[in-house]
Amino acid sequence: MIPMSPLDSDDILVGIRDLTVSFRVDRTTTFEAVKGISFDIPANSTVALVGESGSGKSVTALAILGLLPKENSKIGSGSRILYRDRNLLELTQGEMRKLRGCDISMIFQEPMSSLNPVFTVGFQLTEVLTEHAGLTNRLARARAVELLREVGIPEPEAKIDAYPFQLSGGQQQRVMIAMAIACEPKLLIADEPTTALDVTIQKQILDLIADLQKRRRMSVLFITHDLAVVGEIADHVIVMRDGEIREQGPVRQIFEAPRDSYTQALLLCRPQLARRPKRLPVIDDFLDRAPAAAQDVPQRSRGLRGDEQIVLEARHIGKSFWSREGLFGQREFKAVQDVSFKLAMGKTLGLVGESGSGKTTVGLTLMRLHDASSGEVLFDGKDLLSMSPREAMQYKRRIQIVFQNPYSSLNPRFTVGQILMEPMHIHRLGSGEQEHRDMAYALLEKVGLPGASFFKYPHEFSGGQRQRIAIARCLTMKPDVLICDESVSALDVSVQAQVLNLLQDLQDELGMSYIFISHDLAVVKYMADQVMVMNEGKIVEIADSDEIYLRPQHPYTKKLLSSIPRGWRGPGGNGDRL
Amino acid sequence: MIGTATIAAGPGHTESPGLWVLAWRRFRHDWIGLVSLYVTAFFLVLMAASAAGLIAGDWGKEVGVSHAPPGFMGPGATATQPAPRSAGSPDASRGQQKDDSGIADPLADVLVQIRAKAPPGSVDTDVADPLADVLAEIRGRSGSAAAAEARAPTLLFGGDKWGRDVLKKAIKGTETSMFVGLAAAVLAALLGTVFGALAGYYGRWVDDAFNWFYSVFTSIPYLLLILSIAAVLNQKGTVTVILILGLTGWTGIFRLIRAEYMKHKVREYVQAADAIGASNTRRIFVHILPNVSHVVLVQLSLHVVLFIKSEVILSFLGFGVGVDTVSWGSMLNEAQSELLLGNWWQLAAATAAMAVLVTAFGLLTDALRDALDPKLK
Amino acid sequence: MLAYVLRRLWQIAPTLLGVVLLVFFLFTWVGGDPAYLLAGKISNPEQIENIRRQLGVDQPIYVQLWIFITQIATGDFGVSWATNEKVSEIFATRLGPSLTVLVPLLLVDTLLAIAAAMLVAYWRGSLTDRLVMIGCTVGQSISILVYIIAFQYVLAYQLGWFPVQGWSESFTDNLFRFSLLPIIVGVLVSLAPDTRLYRSFFLDEINQEYVRTARAKGMSETRVMWVHVLRNASIPIITNVMIQLPGLLAGAFLIERFFSIPGIGREVLLAVERSDFPVIKAVTIYVAIATMIINLLADLMYKLVDPRVQLK
Repeated sequence: MIPMSPLDSDDILVGIRDLTVSFRVDRTTTFEAVKGISFDIPANSTVALVGESGSGKSVTALAILGLLPKENSKIGSGSRILYRDRNLLELTQGEMRKLRGCDISMIFQEPMSSLNPVFTVGFQLTEVLTEHAGLTNRLARARAVELLREVGIPEPEAKIDAYPFQLSGGQQQRVMIAMAIACEPKLLIADEPTTALDVTIQKQILDLIADLQKRRRMSVLFITHDLAVVGEIADHVIVMRDGEIREQGPVRQIFEAPRDSYTQALLLCRPQLARRPKRLPVIDDFLDRAPAAAQDVPQRSRGLRGDEQIVLEARHIGKSFWSREGLFGQREFKAVQDVSFKLAMGKTLGLVGESGSGKTTVGLTLMRLHDASSGEVLFDGKDLLSMSPREAMQYKRRIQIVFQNPYSSLNPRFTVGQILMEPMHIHRLGSGEQEHRDMAYALLEKVGLPGASFFKYPHEFSGGQRQRIAIARCLTMKPDVLICDESVSALDVSVQAQVLNLLQDLQDELGMSYIFISHDLAVVKYMADQVMVMNEGKIVEIADSDEIYLRPQHPYTKKLLSSIPRGWRGPGGNGDRL
Repeated sequence: MIGTATIAAGPGHTESPGLWVLAWRRFRHDWIGLVSLYVTAFFLVLMAASAAGLIAGDWGKEVGVSHAPPGFMGPGATATQPAPRSAGSPDASRGQQKDDSGIADPLADVLVQIRAKAPPGSVDTDVADPLADVLAEIRGRSGSAAAAEARAPTLLFGGDKWGRDVLKKAIKGTETSMFVGLAAAVLAALLGTVFGALAGYYGRWVDDAFNWFYSVFTSIPYLLLILSIAAVLNQKGTVTVILILGLTGWTGIFRLIRAEYMKHKVREYVQAADAIGASNTRRIFVHILPNVSHVVLVQLSLHVVLFIKSEVILSFLGFGVGVDTVSWGSMLNEAQSELLLGNWWQLAAATAAMAVLVTAFGLLTDALRDALDPKLK
Repeated sequence: MLAYVLRRLWQIAPTLLGVVLLVFFLFTWVGGDPAYLLAGKISNPEQIENIRRQLGVDQPIYVQLWIFITQIATGDFGVSWATNEKVSEIFATRLGPSLTVLVPLLLVDTLLAIAAAMLVAYWRGSLTDRLVMIGCTVGQSISILVYIIAFQYVLAYQLGWFPVQGWSESFTDNLFRFSLLPIIVGVLVSLAPDTRLYRSFFLDEINQEYVRTARAKGMSETRVMWVHVLRNASIPIITNVMIQLPGLLAGAFLIERFFSIPGIGREVLLAVERSDFPVIKAVTIYVAIATMIINLLADLMYKLVDPRVQLK
């Protein structure tokens, strides 16, 4: 157990001592989510609770407020949660309720589903004020307008009567924050509040929270998986894994001199903007032995010389969606407009944009999973988009796609073997059942999965492993082009690194060309030779990846780049070490 | 964010559990579900045995005195001599019964003798057929060995107006109702699933066409629809009932399966199947169908219950199964007038049999649903 | 909004046409020659021809269809084959008694089911919850026929608390004397399925994230259930009630028949037994039209209750 960092004891707002939380999974098994952790939250500071999924960080936060489901959760008898000098675990329901929303409040990850859809913003906001501050309806409403203004909602007098679905994701989260700070809490718990938001909006929300923290002198417990975010806003950092605290300390110490191997791994597994090692380090590299100094790892250079063979060319692709309007009219929504690019053989083209930029639509259109409204895609001399379905079948196997969500891209009722062999049956590759099996086993090995996986079902695998299966499925057809549509976005940082390494190895070995679609700029810079930036359906800039990060031309690209959390930039830190 | 889940077991390929095996494991722990499963299985066995004629084959035999009370009550004052049987039971469902009890029937003994000579299970003819004994001889001398049996004063669960064994009728009724319920449910599930799959998957004009069909059928309240069809067909019989129920009862399943297909069609595994070149038919039946089969199963089970209840009502009103087939509905019909005489056992038998079966099926459906799709109850 | 209503009315037309065709072909084609049915055992061909001419079934099919359509448009379905009463009058006079029983029934059932479901959803997983659910399952497994027969026998015939059957001219008399037992039986039968259904609605809502937010704001459990959850669950509940409305018009067949309430349901049963086609056809069409209009109203009401709904 790593000792706690020394703090002035009278400055501690909340102290967690030996917190243990277990869940009853079914009749026979319990799962220990938090295994006896202790830490402090000082007054007037920001504490970041960092970990990947399954680390127990959210469970800890819910435990503080007593929001864990009563039916199947159990807090250990030796646990204590001290708020000033009261043990929160010993309070009655009524006393606890007085604290919630008033002394300690919480905001959550998905603002759309965290707000009640059938009540206006004003109703939900005034509710807190009338309950805790005892204000009358009129006073509460006036105060609500002020709060909305404080969190940066434009035209608060009008928006107060809006319903949640009428606001954007960023605005919804601001409303959540307004509700949380309405009664001047001493502690604000923020559970991954920006994970579901675009990176530009994320920056705004982070700035808002930091601003509020300073102005109101409250404490913030910020839960996240993103170390870069932590570096920007936290004073103290607590790193959790599998229900235990691996390391905790001031932010400077964590970033400059991490002592725990897991912390070190987390810091380095993520692709960074300044460096591009040939292979990303993965957790396993750290856990057993001392890591090699990061500077010594060989770098990979990327970029186009200009004379490479073009394997795929898109010209003026457009895609519109139509919706009904009025009695007879229709409204057009242009998801993709006039997109053109060239993909060099054996290279990676990155496609970057926020949600709604149209990047995913481009990928689906290339695969003919959507029908394009206009444009052509030249592959091997022919236009893919104007072929008949029968002709297109021959080309289908040469362009493949790996989807974002590993949980829904594999048929839950097929075994891995069936998933891998199906394309072979459809395209009549290889000569017979036995050869199909051999090919399937060979592919499993290539993507780093044990042969026994052949008979298993997808639900027995983790997210990273499922993506490997999806990649193997694509490889059965030996495609020339692989489209990776946010393929690592849903994975934890450590797993992400493994899959990125795999993709890169395959490209090195087989010479496939990639189109790499993502909203994560650091990952795209790491993987891509050339980068395209999209906004609202149009391409705003195309350049070699190093160029675009050092010398962005378009204002949107600049805005995007400036929103990336840089990480720790204190004295001694070089600003780009996450 | 997706994280680490359970890692697969060690070397050596053991068959890993698919959906059904996992569901069975969960189901096994639900003792209510297990009990209902056994009860339902028992009824199924009962149905099969009854259909094969192994038991209750002689339900039509009038072995007890009229209105014979159940054995545990002892021969009561309500037992009477067998009354002359009025022509055809459909009339019995309308209006009041003219039941003369307690009047000694001078021909009673003669009738008993005549009937005893007829082969068991044959439909009894009208009163005092002068050719009865001749016919009996012509039909079969073999089964006529039994002399005029004395009518039993009490039966295990009592007897109905004609002295038929209520227990046997209840078992026969089980066979009828279960058979109708299952067959109609299978028909409805088949139609509903195929229509729903096509409508949900293809969308656009295919969906519009099926939806039009659906709207037409659902604009008319269910009972009204079946009654209208029954009135029009004016023909009873088990097959008719099955067809009526099955051809009108597909709408609920259709709507659910359609919604499921619309949901699954945009899921990435279906897009992935498209990407690797799977045809539409393959996607509908090989990829998506296994993912909705648990919904179909639960709906099937629910509809069995619905159809059993509908069949009982139809038979009660006289529009259901034929005259010579027992149904709980016809038993309930007879029970109406019996109650006025204070004879409650046929009502009790039919109600109890139906209640046990339907409850068991209902609890089984709930347990199935929880096993297949567990979430916080 | 107006555009939406117009478009929906426009969409109703083909459905209505479908129902008309269905009913027409069902009764004309499948139903066999009504003349024989009515003529009974008279086998005089001349008389049969007479009857056929009276009924108009000697005309070719398309003429009959046209006559049928005009009948629907004008609301005049001719007369009942059995009683010679004008069908439209039958409908008009019988509607009242049906509603007198069914409207209170629906109200009482809905309120009780909501209350029961909310309590049980709140205590989910507890022994009370499981017992109530099993009770509902058992209750649902008993045929409505049994309820009617048993209750009528015990409460009315034996104990004399309620009249066994009957109807009178006075509205209050009907409502408070003759309707009581039918309403009680009706509520008992519908309470079980509705409670289960509403319970599932409440459970769906209780597991939503906005409930967690409300608790995190320090709202009491009472407020969370009665304000936050109920408001959201009311959407499917209202939808469910609207779906049951057309049933009100068709009448509760069995209840009306057993308790001799002169409502539409009983009329339909009698018509079915007597093969009185005009009455059956008319009721089917009326109810179908009413169902479509009620569905449209339900969708509009949906918009009132759920602010997220965009009517297109």
